[in-house]
Amino acid sequence: MSKTIILGVIGADCHAVGNKILDRAFSDAGFNVINIGVMCSQEEFINAAIETNADAIIVSSLYGHGEIDCRGLREKCEEAGLKDILLYAGGNLVVGKQDWSEVEKRFKEMGFNRVYPPGTSPEIGIKDLKNDLGL
Amino acid sequence: MELKNKKWSQEQFFKVREEILNHWPTGKDVNLEDAAEYLKKVPEHKSFPAKLKKAKEEGITLAQPRAGVALVEDHINLLTYLQNEGEADLLPSTIDSYTRQNRYNECEVGLEESRKAGRSMLNGFPAVNHGVEGCRRVFEAVNLPLQARHGTPDARLLSEIIHASGWTSNEGGGISYNIPYAKSVSLEKTILDWQYCDRLAGLYEEMGISLNREPFGPLTGTLVPPSVSNAVAIIEGLLAAEQGVRNLTLGYGQCGNLVQDVAAMRALEEQANEYFKMYGYDVYLTTVFHQWMGGFPQDESKAFGVISWGSATAALAGATKVIVKTPHEAVGIPTKEANAAGIKATKQTLNLLRGQRLPMSKELEEEIKLIKAETKCILDKVFEVGNGDLAVGAVKAFELGILDIPFAPSKYNAGKILPARDNNGAVRILEFGNIPFTKEIKDFHRSLLEARAKVENREVGFQMVVDDIYAVGKGFLVGRPNL
Repeated sequence: MSKTIILGVIGADCHAVGNKILDRAFSDAGFNVINIGVMCSQEEFINAAIETNADAIIVSSLYGHGEIDCRGLREKCEEAGLKDILLYAGGNLVVGKQDWSEVEKRFKEMGFNRVYPPGTSPEIGIKDLKNDLGL
Repeated sequence: MELKNKKWSQEQFFKVREEILNHWPTGKDVNLEDAAEYLKKVPEHKSFPAKLKKAKEEGITLAQPRAGVALVEDHINLLTYLQNEGEADLLPSTIDSYTRQNRYNECEVGLEESRKAGRSMLNGFPAVNHGVEGCRRVFEAVNLPLQARHGTPDARLLSEIIHASGWTSNEGGGISYNIPYAKSVSLEKTILDWQYCDRLAGLYEEMGISLNREPFGPLTGTLVPPSVSNAVAIIEGLLAAEQGVRNLTLGYGQCGNLVQDVAAMRALEEQANEYFKMYGYDVYLTTVFHQWMGGFPQDESKAFGVISWGSATAALAGATKVIVKTPHEAVGIPTKEANAAGIKATKQTLNLLRGQRLPMSKELEEEIKLIKAETKCILDKVFEVGNGDLAVGAVKAFELGILDIPFAPSKYNAGKILPARDNNGAVRILEFGNIPFTKEIKDFHRSLLEARAKVENREVGFQMVVDDIYAVGKGFLVGRPNL
């Protein structure tokens, strides 16, 4: 059975190029991709996940506000009944060049299962997702 | 209000203005007479139009970084560092993404958190929240012309505040700050809102104060064919001129092939001037070249290679100014040191090439001719579907896919065209959507892409496009298989 993922760019971020490439890469890998596009609120991610009974939410952020935008997403998912849904985040998640292990730690503490630095190839996320979903 | 390419009446403008200045509390501090007095005292070396004119006459290319942080003091430190250590010729204030969406409440949160965290939690300077008082403090602390650079679909209040603060240039336009920067804002609305910003600049112009306006040339910055961005630049230039703007900088983002890039810049300047003349506008035109806007290599030395290549092209094309990238481009917003390093690498290259231009050759001549012919195909059709009205035509042209920008997030963009590089790295079109090119032009693009496919021993297709998007980050211009 094909697994469903919610793909989108969070906050006031309008970076669309990577979003279009991820859409294609995850679709080609056999996932049912619900792409909600750029500039999405946490609620839009959650509503899309509820409507489609999704297995994972994949959040992109390229513009540096990711830390503010992603905060509280895990708690909101739980309130909405999305218990244990996989949360991935990737991109230029914070303002400026910061130590990656610190950034990763901060996002994991926020409840993200996997966190990816800039320039990660889509294949890596696909491989991890297949692992995490036991495919 | 009905959208038309017609200069707004005083009544129309001031009616909207009353509402705009109430969008956020700092709006009440904007006073047109006081602002005019303040702007009249701006010395020549801090005026954008004056500095651009001098550079154009001397045939030199100025270097301008992008930069902006949340707090006024930190922003002043950043800009003075780029001025003194980075040797920038022109200064920016890059505006944060919440302000760009008019989410001033969220800026307040970002400001508060920045103070607490001791680092900027916003990706730019929230000029509306800081108001005229904060923006003037920035202007008075620096010694160079200052410009707002952003990506704001509705920049009316922002424009009021920055001009009233002595910032003599504003970047943006009704198309270029919508289609690449918004998802669901209608073009009618952004063109109207940018007519307001242009009319504001026009109003100051009529009071004897010269302000510069700069439509955003590179659009999505991702394999945008030169004729597509040139057509948008000329449309936005004409729309601005109608509202009374007299000092314009039109721009183009580096694609990477030297001949095509130089051709695009020459075609843009020549063709824009032809259109201004044809429609009876008296405009002082300068040009801006954007260093590579796509993905960058992570390695800082490699990034300097990309930066220097853009600088060389800007110089050889005779651009009036160049917008500078930094060695941190691949990882996000740069430190002030990295930003200054980018400017210094740029200026070194510009200085070495000062006075040199790429000489005319058969290839350059052919490329200029091609870009102009394509641009004319698009513009003719835009005027046609608008029944002669350029603003109406622009909206319809996007609906019909006559104007179509690759990889744009807006739902008002058809997104049907697909670009890819030819064997020499020049950007061509693989799928034309409804771009109104002649069959001859389309066949020519196709033949160039077929020639590349043959060399790479594969079919012309989407994979080429993906490979091209990643290529520069991996160190090459053309995305060959197995890079």
